[in-house]
Amino acid sequence: MRRPLVFEHISMAYDSLRATRSRTLLTVLGVTIGVASVTTILALSFGVSRIISHQVESIGGNIAVVRPRLPEHGTSSLSDYVVQQSFSTSTLTEKDYAAIASIPGVEAAAPIMTITGSPKTKLASLKSNVVFATTPSFLQTVNLPLREGQFIDSITNINTAVIGGQLAVDLFGTEVPIGQTFELRGQTFTVIGILQRTNDPVNYNNVDFDRAIILSLESGKLFNNGISQLQQINIRAKDNDSLGRIVQATDTILAKNHSGEQDYIILHGSQVADPTSQLFRSVAGVLTAIAAISLVVGGIGIMNIMLVGVAERTREIGLRKAVGASNTNIVSQFMTESLIISLVGGLAGVAVGYLAALIASTFFAFRPAFTWWIVAIGIGIALIVGLVFGLYPAIRAARKNPIESLRQYH
Amino acid sequence: MATRKKTPAIELKALTKRYGIGDAEHNALDEVDLRIEKGEFVTIMGPSGCGKTTLLNILGLLDRSDDGEYYLDGKSVERLSGSQHARIRSEQIGIVFQSFNLINRLNVVENVALPLTYSGMRKYKRLEAASAILKNFHLSEREYYMPWQLSGGQMQRVAIARALVNNPSIILADEPTGNLDSRSSHVIMEELSELHQRGNTIIMVTHNPNLTSYATRIIKMLDGRIDSDTGNPTLPPPMTEKIPLGKSAPTIRKRRHKSTAAQPVSSRKRSKR
Repeated sequence: MRRPLVFEHISMAYDSLRATRSRTLLTVLGVTIGVASVTTILALSFGVSRIISHQVESIGGNIAVVRPRLPEHGTSSLSDYVVQQSFSTSTLTEKDYAAIASIPGVEAAAPIMTITGSPKTKLASLKSNVVFATTPSFLQTVNLPLREGQFIDSITNINTAVIGGQLAVDLFGTEVPIGQTFELRGQTFTVIGILQRTNDPVNYNNVDFDRAIILSLESGKLFNNGISQLQQINIRAKDNDSLGRIVQATDTILAKNHSGEQDYIILHGSQVADPTSQLFRSVAGVLTAIAAISLVVGGIGIMNIMLVGVAERTREIGLRKAVGASNTNIVSQFMTESLIISLVGGLAGVAVGYLAALIASTFFAFRPAFTWWIVAIGIGIALIVGLVFGLYPAIRAARKNPIESLRQYH
Repeated sequence: MATRKKTPAIELKALTKRYGIGDAEHNALDEVDLRIEKGEFVTIMGPSGCGKTTLLNILGLLDRSDDGEYYLDGKSVERLSGSQHARIRSEQIGIVFQSFNLINRLNVVENVALPLTYSGMRKYKRLEAASAILKNFHLSEREYYMPWQLSGGQMQRVAIARALVNNPSIILADEPTGNLDSRSSHVIMEELSELHQRGNTIIMVTHNPNLTSYATRIIKMLDGRIDSDTGNPTLPPPMTEKIPLGKSAPTIRKRRHKSTAAQPVSSRKRSKR
């Protein structure tokens, strides 16, 4: 019974790759760069979406989110100099919110209205700060622990606010400015609560809570001529089973309220964590394209070097066939070399990719995700590249006529 | 003393190999019939282009004929696949080349062990077998030398050891002394002769008429056919020989028998076997 030649091929491949060390290393480098780019992109983007998934889970899951639908037709926003949807008006209203809140199975619903304001205190004056107007039920849809004081509720005065931890320091110079006041858009607000610092400005409400001012919906409406214009409605279902039903019911209600116009989208489950920013998607798309191109280039590098190797070793191939190597043996031998190059490149690429992601994440506020499947994708891509681009040279090697090959230097 | 019909090591029937296309087509081998018994030392000679190298390639399963049959050890090899051919090459055929063809990256013992790789032997067993062969060739001190550290004659002896390591049925040699000086050539031919005396079947292609004395049978080829064969008295008179006018055929035949050194195998009566 013939023993499988895999180990032979591996040791032969290792020997021949070691003999042309510098060439091999350069080829490996090509693969490494390609895999590193893919790994960095995956690690960073999955890092972002994982944070949001965590937030949804920490509240107990079962979250659905209603947002205005972005216009789809028209020029792609990649070519738009000014992104269209930043000007679209949301048609979600309090009426929608009230209807949703009364759907059976809804544990809590919260409307979200964001405006811009410049808070002023004796100490500081900040421009264009995020102002977040919502109802007390908001706390039931997101995990937002308070450091001091209380959240807005139905009893407190309309002119009360909860502010983020960083904002507190910026405005008042102290971490706990309870009872102090600040001016916003001509009104005076008293601070009744301070949010604990989160380290993740990424969340599915698209707000940096460290620097946000949270007001009651009534205060928000005051700034908008009494009209509440909601950017988002958060829904929390009692349990997972009712979530599906609630999403359906929400769809029906909103369709009715909006005269049949589906100018809204309802996201639930993992969709909540998907990026909505067109810019984010464009950037991710461009980076993926770059990664794909660099992988192809790396693969071409493998193919090139292997062809050179085959040409150099024509004599050796002819001899091996003369002493009993079959075509399959020759193909396997060269494919093994190609796969070793790409495997080493893949492992190095994953390592370098994560390193790059860690360095990049110091500029962003989230950490890259370390998961086994990102590593698997990185190595898998490398192996596929090695397989595809190593096949042609390997077949070329096997097809060589041993007589011709051996005659070369006569 | 009953003459049993032995399986010949090699039997060729009407073997044909064509080259070229259209009007440039010619027969490298033209309906060659040949029968080589085990234990013969055959030399194939002829001018360039006579087809001897093509014949050797087909015998070594490095090439396929276009027509005709080839029986190796009694078994037909025509219909076998490429990988089956490879298996036979690895197990039954040993080849020695003019330019030695050792792999420079491997040392002597690894080179000799090469054919065994494709028979599926484990590495240490292979090296053991190779080492044993090298001992027979008195090359043990050079086991770990690299090919470029050896002289021409030593390299060819390593190549011969490699050809033997898998215990082949036939050994093919393509101008084994072509790249060697006369002293090394002598050593190599002595080596081959010794192998022959131990019972191996050897088929050698050469240009050098001085080497024919080592062989038991001499075949001369011309234009893709066998012109003369000391082992086959039934062939028509060779084209290369001058036929004086007026002489009759039997005289010519007698002359052919006397012109070679060794007696043809088939006419010898063996008492053993």
